[in-house]
Amino acid sequence: MRHLLLFSLVPALAAGCAMGGAMRQATLVGQCAADDVACSRRHPQAPIALGTRFHPDVAAEVAGTTTPTLRLESAAPEILAVEDGVLVARQPGASAVLISTDDGSVIDFVHVWVAPVTRVTLARRDGDRIGGAIGLAVGEDITIVPTLWNGAQRLSGDGDATWAVTSDTTVSVLRDGSSDRRRLRARAPGKTTLTVAPAGLTASVDIEVVP
Amino acid sequence: MSRAIGVMLLVVAASVLGACNPYLTAQSAAPPGRVARLDPVDGFWSIKSYKVELSVGVALAVTCAEGGPCHDLTVVSDDPAIATVRPASLGTLQPSGIASQATASAVVIVGKAPGTTRLRLRSREGTRDIRVTIVAPPAVRPVLIGAKDPA
Repeated sequence: MRHLLLFSLVPALAAGCAMGGAMRQATLVGQCAADDVACSRRHPQAPIALGTRFHPDVAAEVAGTTTPTLRLESAAPEILAVEDGVLVARQPGASAVLISTDDGSVIDFVHVWVAPVTRVTLARRDGDRIGGAIGLAVGEDITIVPTLWNGAQRLSGDGDATWAVTSDTTVSVLRDGSSDRRRLRARAPGKTTLTVAPAGLTASVDIEVVP
Repeated sequence: MSRAIGVMLLVVAASVLGACNPYLTAQSAAPPGRVARLDPVDGFWSIKSYKVELSVGVALAVTCAEGGPCHDLTVVSDDPAIATVRPASLGTLQPSGIASQATASAVVIVGKAPGTTRLRLRSREGTRDIRVTIVAPPAVRPVLIGAKDPA
């Protein structure tokens, strides 16, 4: 009887396409613009960096129905909390994030990992890693995004980073509405150093502005 | 002779009644480095009960069926501080009876804290006791930046 039941379930499960959730009915991805390849929130498969927040975009695909009203709940809030629909990474580990309907019925769940940040690098908005000094002409802009790593693994989530330049008459650091990236505008010829400090670590890059 | 037949009938009746209890099937896999498994505890004639082993923070989807998806399924945890159970909506059809299908009947079990407890499953098809053991996750080794591995 048991084997008969198991064999009967295999075709039913294989019919569902591979999706993010363990029950193959829902997905949980980051909120990113379609053309924003450097968006740190784009990597739902990556662990969330400790101390950062992940803004999820949840959708369900259940045959015969549009997506019902969904809510998130953490199985281990001490590791990964859910605050107003945002995942907050509190300590290293893993926690199931339950995706349920208004009445508490679980339609899917995703195990999400939290990892400490061991390294910070800087990248351009197009995702290209910054490996050396940057040269800008006066009036030129460049958008910088810090990338968080655990060893060789890129982490997701965005946190409150401190941005500072040694000479703000040379380069201005401007917000662009995103919490994790900044737009730099070259104002006057000279040299300066940009230092970004997210998650308790720092990354720096030298910038030279020419006329 | 008639006494022997009576005993045999009792045994057959007991086995038939035992076989009427619903069967449980895991519908999700364990994440890497964590435990999430459902195993039957076999009796002499059929499955006596079930046992579940889960890591803290891990969820496991389980379906209930006996000749078809279970009706009026409820599962209650003796200690929700150790393991909780939530009803689940699994949008798949399972065979029901000889020539019909019905939506699967499922729950999700969540490991909350290390320890052992028991889940009481009730449905129109019968009952099941599930012994649940929740294990602590492996300790995360802190990474010291710039430090050499002592090994």
